[in-house]
Amino acid sequence: MAAEKFCVGYVDSVYCGSGVDGRGLRCVVFFSGCNLRCPFCHNPETLYKQGTATGIDELMARLLRYKPYFRRGGVTLSGGEPFLQKQFVLALAERLKAEGVHVCIETNGHICDGELIAAGDLIVDIKNQQSGDLSAYEKFLAECRRLGARVEVTNVLVPGVNDGEEALRALGSLVKKYYPNGKIRFLPFRKLCAEKYENLGLPFVYANVREAEEEDVKRAEKLVNL
Amino acid sequence: MNSQFKPGRYAEHIDVRDFIQTNYTPYEGGPEFLAPPTARTSVLMEKVNALLKAESDKGGVLDVDVDRVSSLLSYPAGYIDRENEIIVGLQTDAPLKRGVNPFGGIRMARQACEAYGYKLSETVETEFAYKTTHNDAVFHVYTDEMKAVRHAGLLTGLPDAYGRGRIIGDYRRVALYGVDKLIEEKMKDKRAYGEKLMSEENIRTLEELYKQIDFLKKLKDMAMLYGIDISNPARDAKEAIQWTYFAYLAAIKEQNGAAMSLGRVSTFFDIYIERDIADGRLTESQAQELIDDFVIKLRITRQLRTPEYNDLFGGDPTWTTESVGGMGEDGRTLVTKTSYRILQTLYNLGAAPEPNLTILWSEKLPEPFKMFCAKVSIDTDSIQYENDDLMRPIYGDDYGIACCVSAMKIGKQMQFFGARCNLAKLLLLALNGGKDEKSGNQLAPKGEAFKGVLDYNKVREAYHKYMAWLCRLYVNTLNVIHYMHDKYAYEKIQMALHDTEVERFLACGVAGLSVAVDSLSAIKYAKVTPVYGENGIISGFDVQGDFPKYGNDDDRVDSIAADLVREFSEELKKTPAYRGAKHTLSVLTITSNVVYGKKTGATPDGRAAGEPFAPGANPMHERDVSGALASLNSVAKLSYDCCRDGISNTFSIVPSALGKDGQERAENLTDMLDGYFGQGAHHLNVNVFDRARLVLAMEHPELYPNVTIRVSGYAVNFHKLSKAHQLEVLKRTYHARV
Repeated sequence: MAAEKFCVGYVDSVYCGSGVDGRGLRCVVFFSGCNLRCPFCHNPETLYKQGTATGIDELMARLLRYKPYFRRGGVTLSGGEPFLQKQFVLALAERLKAEGVHVCIETNGHICDGELIAAGDLIVDIKNQQSGDLSAYEKFLAECRRLGARVEVTNVLVPGVNDGEEALRALGSLVKKYYPNGKIRFLPFRKLCAEKYENLGLPFVYANVREAEEEDVKRAEKLVNL
Repeated sequence: MNSQFKPGRYAEHIDVRDFIQTNYTPYEGGPEFLAPPTARTSVLMEKVNALLKAESDKGGVLDVDVDRVSSLLSYPAGYIDRENEIIVGLQTDAPLKRGVNPFGGIRMARQACEAYGYKLSETVETEFAYKTTHNDAVFHVYTDEMKAVRHAGLLTGLPDAYGRGRIIGDYRRVALYGVDKLIEEKMKDKRAYGEKLMSEENIRTLEELYKQIDFLKKLKDMAMLYGIDISNPARDAKEAIQWTYFAYLAAIKEQNGAAMSLGRVSTFFDIYIERDIADGRLTESQAQELIDDFVIKLRITRQLRTPEYNDLFGGDPTWTTESVGGMGEDGRTLVTKTSYRILQTLYNLGAAPEPNLTILWSEKLPEPFKMFCAKVSIDTDSIQYENDDLMRPIYGDDYGIACCVSAMKIGKQMQFFGARCNLAKLLLLALNGGKDEKSGNQLAPKGEAFKGVLDYNKVREAYHKYMAWLCRLYVNTLNVIHYMHDKYAYEKIQMALHDTEVERFLACGVAGLSVAVDSLSAIKYAKVTPVYGENGIISGFDVQGDFPKYGNDDDRVDSIAADLVREFSEELKKTPAYRGAKHTLSVLTITSNVVYGKKTGATPDGRAAGEPFAPGANPMHERDVSGALASLNSVAKLSYDCCRDGISNTFSIVPSALGKDGQERAENLTDMLDGYFGQGAHHLNVNVFDRARLVLAMEHPELYPNVTIRVSGYAVNFHKLSKAHQLEVLKRTYHARV
């Protein structure tokens, strides 16, 4: 049960109208604060828990305005890392589901929490860009499978960083181990966020890495399924 | 021998709806049955494409007939390729050759000829030297005040120098009944009206009936120029389409109205097509060929316009609007196989802006049809959507859309088109105590000019006062225009295809809604101080702090928009309209949002002087930043109850934000339409593309001749827009998820 103090979440923004963050048309809640510091992060404004303190009633009222569009879709909780705001996320997911709204949570998979895993369908973004160590995901995906969670795996494809044959094969076998029919959706690395880094006064470490093109994605899709 | 149609009330009375309801076959399946273009169609279309290219190479007009005045019998029969055409009839004696129609105003006709290097012939000049045109007559009566607000651009686009358009004849009547029966019915009416008191009103009706009958006879003669006798009802699908097309053709020969819309013909045609197929006289391929040929004709309709006109209505549109789909009052869908066939023309003949295919969307439309429409939108950006669930309870199930968003019961209602008033400029007028911010002229009664930090309530009060003044002047101006249009440029053939007792609307409009609304929001939620120029007129605004912007589903500002249109609508109704017309209101700009912007000084929302407005009811460019659905929700809050002439929203989303693949994109688009219309919203133009593609099309028009986009209630070939219009389109919000 969500206690009073858990009825406030730190939210950076709400985007209403995405067709690519889970099934159907969705509203996406971007939570503030993240436990990782990935150099390719597309939402650097959500790294620190400095978003707007948002009451759950207020957020619910806002999201429910879009219920008429949610025939196939619903609400995606993203960030930042939504798993960092456990009580709020659990309470929000519960209330959305009670209203018949489908919930999807996007996570970096580093916080292996059964309650959160069971709170909605998951989009797990595997961060193999800095190290090939995928052990955190072994644990996370094992738990997902044990709980019967529906999981979509994504991976930001950064040319010259994680698009080598070895990295892609390792990624493929990790996913196949727990979800034999699972597919990996590659998100091409983009630099549209460079301006955000500049505005925030943060260094954009991957500024000189080239963007991933459609061909890179196609090539990776082939390799990962070998 | 033909199988017989099921009998009904339509046999005794003029009642096309009854014929449709008793005889049509709803279709709930998918597009699998559709046929590709036949070899004949492809060859003909190649010829048409070559003509279109020649037209474009010549600067937009291929040829003008300067010697004759356009009407039903002015030109001999014309063909694209006589041997290979199935449905025949051209506006003049050659394809894409434009006729001259000086009834609206001889000066317009003269200037239009000159703009393209032609000279109006002495014969026409002499003939009209002794005629009063609609334009002459209006200016005989206009007051100084009317001329001043027109000149300043407070009221713009008034149909006082060209045909008013937006009248849909029930062209199907000619196919169902044949012309003789229609003449007989009108003569019966004339005899009955002859028994009444000869009041001014009755005498006018009798004279109009005389003209209608006269033109029905001319319609028969026009068809005979092509060797076709349309005295009697059409006997098969080909005749039904041909008869209907002749009726429409007569209308566009007689009138050069801005929007000469077609109505709702596909399901009507379907009855004939399905009977021919069942009788073994027509194959699917031949059925598609008939529709393709008909649509080729609609695609090459043209009117001669001046460059000033093109500034308002960019891209040479004709608004040959065809309303497709919808649901019947009895719960059966009005989607038929021919609803699919007419959409299929966008694949068989390529994407194109005309006819202006308009889907009457209902939550209850068959799912496969919804998906097909969405796919067509994604592939061609050529169709628009309007809310059938919203309109059907008001107009029944046999209404059509004129122009972009104007609904009317076909053959039973007509409208007096009234262009629009510039709401943003009106706000500046109120702040300047009734003076025009551009010229400094005192346009309206003198009031207090605002100084220092603006007080919302005081501004709102002054705005209301000037709105009341303008609404009265606006309706009075329209009354003058439509009195004179009826008198000097009456739509004889179109009104002959209406019931004699017709219901009329006075269709007023507003432009610059989002600019006015955001400006009021700035005044209410931020600190706005007018900055005065040397001439004592406000030249700009100092804005401190942020304010909510229309387009983000924020009630604080969206409620201002909803209130504003309600207030305007109520003010209009206080001045009675000509011929007892009912006042309606649209939030629609066509492409005049660019011209309106040019004529409007800097506004408190931060928009610079001269900058274009957003089109129609759209949020201002790039200010709707909370996502596509938030933007849609804001527009959905405008009530159709007070905007019965339509609320236009033009929406662009990039494919990568709409879904991961074609199937998902189509599904998501149908969910978007269901969600938007489910909230009582009225209209949506849908574009699915990246801005980058338009930049390429602008830079290399020769490589992208067929890029079609929805602009504001209609579609255009992108390359036919002026540079100013192209740049405005590029500035719009393209909803993306990045």
